[in-house]
Amino acid sequence: MSSVYTRPLARLIDQLQRLPGIGPKTAQRLALYLIKRPEADIQALAQALLEAKQQVGLCSVCFHLSAEPVCDICASPQRDNHLLCVVADSRDVIAIEKTREYHGKYHVLGGLISPLEGITPEHLHIQPLIQRASQAQVKEVILAINPSIEGETTTLYVGQLLRPFVKVTRIAFGLPVGGDLDYADEMTLARALAGRREIEWQ
Amino acid sequence: MFLKSLHLRHFRNYSEQLVTFAAPKTIVVGDNAQGKSNLLEAVEWLATLQSHRTHRDRDLIQQGQESAQIEATLERQGVPLDLAVSLRPLAGRVLRVNGCTVKRTAEFLGQLNAVEFSCLDLELVRGTPTIRRNWLDRILVQLEPLYSQVLQTYQKALRQRNALLKQAGSQGWDEALWQAWNQQLVINGTRIIRRRQRLIERLAPLAQDWHWVLSGARETLTLTYESHVPLGDGTSEAIVAAFNEALAARRAIELLQKTSLVGPHRDDVGFCLNEQSARHFASQGQQRTLVLALKLAELALVESVVGDTPLLLLDDVLAELDLQRQGILLEVMGDRYQTLITTTHLAPFGTPWRQQAQILKVTAGTIASVPDTAAQTSD
Ligand SMILES: [Zn+2]
Repeated sequence: MSSVYTRPLARLIDQLQRLPGIGPKTAQRLALYLIKRPEADIQALAQALLEAKQQVGLCSVCFHLSAEPVCDICASPQRDNHLLCVVADSRDVIAIEKTREYHGKYHVLGGLISPLEGITPEHLHIQPLIQRASQAQVKEVILAINPSIEGETTTLYVGQLLRPFVKVTRIAFGLPVGGDLDYADEMTLARALAGRREIEWQ
Repeated sequence: MFLKSLHLRHFRNYSEQLVTFAAPKTIVVGDNAQGKSNLLEAVEWLATLQSHRTHRDRDLIQQGQESAQIEATLERQGVPLDLAVSLRPLAGRVLRVNGCTVKRTAEFLGQLNAVEFSCLDLELVRGTPTIRRNWLDRILVQLEPLYSQVLQTYQKALRQRNALLKQAGSQGWDEALWQAWNQQLVINGTRIIRRRQRLIERLAPLAQDWHWVLSGARETLTLTYESHVPLGDGTSEAIVAAFNEALAARRAIELLQKTSLVGPHRDDVGFCLNEQSARHFASQGQQRTLVLALKLAELALVESVVGDTPLLLLDDVLAELDLQRQGILLEVMGDRYQTLITTTHLAPFGTPWRQQAQILKVTAGTIASVPDTAAQTSD
């Protein structure tokens, strides 16, 4: 299929096509756009890509994306140490931060439990969460995880593990089943945070 | 409701086909594998967002094509309604109502209602439990638009739990994780069980009446939802408790067989005639009468719930019914239900069927309108 492109162009299109949400047509459009840009622009883009990859790691406390060993949120003296908000992904931290309604700290699990994809609790940052949550200053852990079937299971599982140490609540989703946190508008998220409730255990 | 036109693009063996429906009854005649059933399948898909012939959207798309489109214009209680779907296995489905894209299936389901009666339904009594479960699910998807989502959530929980069971031997056992998945299975499974049970309760009296009439007042039909989970008083709490108990009881055997053995995915529907199991004792004639009674009950239920007459799709089934049963069906239908009928031959149809019927001939994915006489001579 790629024989219609000269080889370096085909390689670029192939790389772009591996990105989420990019189909063959978009990849072609982006590639043709990119090769027309001045070389300095492309250098800057390549540099930014490399530096982001090399310099951005995970915060050693909350596992949010961070260039420093401890992220800005964890390091901030203004953030409330009594509250811990547990999310699946760094995207969710960003979504909640945009609401400016939450002033506690975060913990990023790094995914959701899914036997089908081979993701077990050991693959997620659950042990460090238990250690953090069992510290005396933490008064409440808020689970803010998408209400998909995997999200619900992760909420239940993590909630059960935390219960002996701390009060556990979950945010009240007015979101559709399977809806994503980062698609929720900011008002919805703010309301959900305000209306959090304790988990119903069976 | 009345389906005025159907436009198919790259759907099954149709490259591009516009069909305009001009009469309450449309007879679609053609040899096997020409595309008769595909036409009805497109209508079924609009009504249920699924096909009873395949689970994969890919199968619905013409070979060598990337996507298929179905567009329909309808009239519902005098109000025009446009439905459109685009099936794209790589990029997902797009659903449109009156030109607006809808995000949730629940907003699309229930716009067009159809009751399908195909030769596969003749297996409802003797066939596997899957056929009976699918029958209930297809009705529920139309009657309760949320059901489709509940069902998908349950199926996802089931697949995840089965995956966990398969990994059980190779990895350390995490009891808390197991209980978390059990809870998902129970919560979502209970929703399915209650909705199916409620459907059976509504269908049962209608089906009983029809079977009584069709059997010449000789046979009493009873329908029961046969669940692996005792339903108790039918409340959510009772079913959840019983479900948890059943899971605990079958735990060892589930671990051994590495698959989920308790839940609505294993349930069944029981049919009894005069208190005897129809599955075991009914003759072929009794079975056909029973299936016809079920379908007439379904038609009445859908009509009463949605407050409008559903479309009736008769796929290759009329030839399987004798003249007496055909006559009853015709009498019930009258001109009240828009009916699409497929058949290989026009011969088995008496004049009452053909009266004022629109006749379409399907040849290799192309549909042509033909006057009754022409179709007759080509028979
Ligand atoms: Zn941090």
